[in-house]
Amino acid sequence: MTAAQAARQVFGFFGFLGRRTGKTRVFAILGLIPVVLAVVVRVFLHGRAGLMADVSTEILMVFFLQFYIVILALFYGTSITAEEVENRTLSYLLTRPIPKPAIILGKFAAYTALMFAMVGLSLALSYFIINAGRLGDPAVYGALLRYLGVLGLGILAYTAFFAFLGTILKRAIIIGLVFGFGWENVIQYFPGSTQRFSIVHYLKSLLPYHPANVGGGRGVALLLFRLEPTKPVVAVIMLAVITAGLLALACWFFRIKEYLYEE
Amino acid sequence: MTAVIAAASLSKWYGNVLGLNDVTLEIEDGITGLLGPNGAGKSTFMKLITGQMKPNIGTVTVRGRKVWNNPELFQGIGFCPEQDVFYEDVTGWEFLTGLLRFYGYAGTEIRDRAARALDIVGLTADKDRLIRGYSRGMRQRIKFAQAVAHDPSILILDEPLSGLDPLGKRKLIRLIKGFRDQGRTVLVSSHVLPEIEALTSRIVLIHQGKILAQGDIPYVRELIEAHPHQISVRSSDPRALAARFVGDPSIQKMTFGPDGRTLVVETHKRDEFFGRLTGVVLEAGIEVDEISSPDDNLQSVFEYLVGK
Repeated sequence: MTAAQAARQVFGFFGFLGRRTGKTRVFAILGLIPVVLAVVVRVFLHGRAGLMADVSTEILMVFFLQFYIVILALFYGTSITAEEVENRTLSYLLTRPIPKPAIILGKFAAYTALMFAMVGLSLALSYFIINAGRLGDPAVYGALLRYLGVLGLGILAYTAFFAFLGTILKRAIIIGLVFGFGWENVIQYFPGSTQRFSIVHYLKSLLPYHPANVGGGRGVALLLFRLEPTKPVVAVIMLAVITAGLLALACWFFRIKEYLYEE
Repeated sequence: MTAVIAAASLSKWYGNVLGLNDVTLEIEDGITGLLGPNGAGKSTFMKLITGQMKPNIGTVTVRGRKVWNNPELFQGIGFCPEQDVFYEDVTGWEFLTGLLRFYGYAGTEIRDRAARALDIVGLTADKDRLIRGYSRGMRQRIKFAQAVAHDPSILILDEPLSGLDPLGKRKLIRLIKGFRDQGRTVLVSSHVLPEIEALTSRIVLIHQGKILAQGDIPYVRELIEAHPHQISVRSSDPRALAARFVGDPSIQKMTFGPDGRTLVVETHKRDEFFGRLTGVVLEAGIEVDEISSPDDNLQSVFEYLVGK
């Protein structure tokens, strides 16, 4: 069996397992928060589309970009290796005729697909509820696709990062929390090139930005504030490099490292 | 005969703890029992020969091929881990079919093999139940099923009989022997001598990471016989009992326990002693509360061998 075939089989098995776990149920429920929020906003904004819908969408994106995909990627990404070691089920995988990198890649693909399904469904529902008054406008659908694309890239990059952490560290989740909700939240506001050391900087650089629209809502402007956005093409390339590079490193470490179960 | 599994000067340590110390061993076709108390290094050895761990020193090969990072080798190896761990949110059927996917079989073959493996371990009726709802014995059997479902020529079983009731043990022993009869290689570990005895006469004794002895069962029994047995008798009058045995040539040593009611006897002829004990107790009218043999186990044999 080639590595690609093996990764596909791992994808199938863990895609199935992933859907079954309690963790997925909890995170799927968490994904209902923006939908509920959207319903509340919709009721509040009844009859007033446009500006406030944009503002609400931006608030939604803060939730998705700086919380939901980070927490999802943190738990699913680190679990690619850590859950097998902590649950001692790694023996079942390491004694199969599949290359070790296929385990990482297959689980990565399965979990990112699962996360994207949860995020995509939650975003689409909440977005359509908020923009229910202007569903005839093709631009609404274009913007949704763009948001989905950005979140998809975010899921890939963050999951690759946390998968890498989970592969090299025993308590990856702690470091991951510090990175996801500390470093990423702070460093993006540093001027100059420092902000480029965060994943969220590249994700925000891809989002549509309406500074004129947000004039009356400084709080919202600050939430999605970006100092010197990177060009979209460069941002996409950087996110792709981060994802591929960290995944390659995770595969390499997983191949050479031995994992001992704690007694 | 060519060795199926070969370890040469194999050592493994965990920080300052020595897991395996300079082990050189060849395992051939048939059943080989790896026998040792808990923490002896059995699981470490099994993880090394299944490529789950990398030796610090030495080499390990299966059919002449290195094990570490050689996944193709596992097409022909089945491994049953010691730990009672599973992907708990799946049924027995999903567990087996899920793991069988990794062998590159087509869908029909996966289902056939899973059904056969479930039939072998007698879990067909429970295949659609979640593993988390299985009893300990069922979990042990499904673990065995995943090890044999792909029809491996080498079977490595880490404490496969633990947690099974006597009937379950007997069934599994019959199954393992069946694999041997088909010309396969089976390495099975246990810390219980009778379990290994029931499976094979070829034993490897391991303790504190070292191979103490290897050979057939009679050889191990000889080691036990050479070691005096301790028998502890708690009675109403241990001194009267001791007086009756003073002249008995089968007794090597007698001491009294700290509770003042126990007589501890050391003898090479355990059966003879027990034979006489019954008569003496009846004759003297001594009330016996408990008879135990504190060192009548593998641990004491090991301790004896280590101290030798």
